[in-house]
Amino acid sequence: MLVGAFACAHTPQLLSRPETEDRNLVLRVHTAFARVKGRLQALRPDAIAMVAGDHIEAFFLNAVPALAVYAGTECAGTFGRYRYRFPIHEPLARAIVEQGIERGFDLFYTQDAPLDYAFYVPLHFTMPEPSVPLVPLHVNVYLPPQPTPRRCYEWGRALGEILRARSERVVLMASGGMSHFPGTDRYASPEFDYDRRLLNLLTAGRGRELAAITAEELDRAGNIELRTWITLLGAVGDAKADVYCYEPSWHHGNAVVEWPL
Amino acid sequence: MAAVNALHYRFPPGSAYRLNRCLFAIKSDDAFRARFLADARAAIDEMELDDTDSAALLRGDRDALVARGAHPYLVFMADLRLRMEREAMTFEDF
Repeated sequence: MLVGAFACAHTPQLLSRPETEDRNLVLRVHTAFARVKGRLQALRPDAIAMVAGDHIEAFFLNAVPALAVYAGTECAGTFGRYRYRFPIHEPLARAIVEQGIERGFDLFYTQDAPLDYAFYVPLHFTMPEPSVPLVPLHVNVYLPPQPTPRRCYEWGRALGEILRARSERVVLMASGGMSHFPGTDRYASPEFDYDRRLLNLLTAGRGRELAAITAEELDRAGNIELRTWITLLGAVGDAKADVYCYEPSWHHGNAVVEWPL
Repeated sequence: MAAVNALHYRFPPGSAYRLNRCLFAIKSDDAFRARFLADARAAIDEMELDDTDSAALLRGDRDALVARGAHPYLVFMADLRLRMEREAMTFEDF
């Protein structure tokens, strides 16, 4: 069953803060992460299914999957001085691959790919105690052509149906966003007004409208990673978002959101 | 084509494969990054880059690298990883 749904920023400066970052802003996002952790403890999930966009870490140009599932026994990665490893809920991961393919989604799966920091940063702050196994779900966000927002929404809807039919208690998390432009001349000028308009739609329970956004619009708004949120929205339908925080830094719109189910 | 070319993140052309592979290695391969820091020219030669790409990489010229087809995120993170080791940047780790 699907017992919870959250979206979290994964800005690496929240984990390892250089002097360029406002410490109080970072701590305010940490407070929102702590609230997610408390909710996860209360929801007692058997697994966390996390949708994140790889930063050209697990998948380089040897293979660029649109949608992928980590379906081994464990996954691990590194980021700077951080080393991390998580057990995978293999029965759930395998069910997602098998039933996803049965439903017409040609999923890529891996038992041997590094786990990107997009998964790790939110989990560093929100993993409940005792920890629960993970099912990492990848959506291609950085290597065009990415899956369309509509395809992400449809995949999320199928994923939600698969999770609801399971006996395990599953929390679905999306990692990413909001507006940021790493590596471009827009890095210091994200589209914060665009983010706020999206958050207003989400708090009104109008998440399905995000499925109609074009790839070009996501790129222009610095929101290519929103595909992870749109996948989650397919699963939660018209649930209304509870925005824990929206903290615009000089380069990044940091949001933490729950969709109470 | 104008609208497509205006995108921040574009399809990585095959002509830039070696350049992107080199940036990926600087970002994600600790041993290669160490070799690059010790002798950038020799490390670049391992990756068989042409003279134009090599010069842009040695200058750290982001705009030239992106114009050659380098992925902006790879340029960004490769540069950050090199600066973290060269400049002993200080971080507060949580």
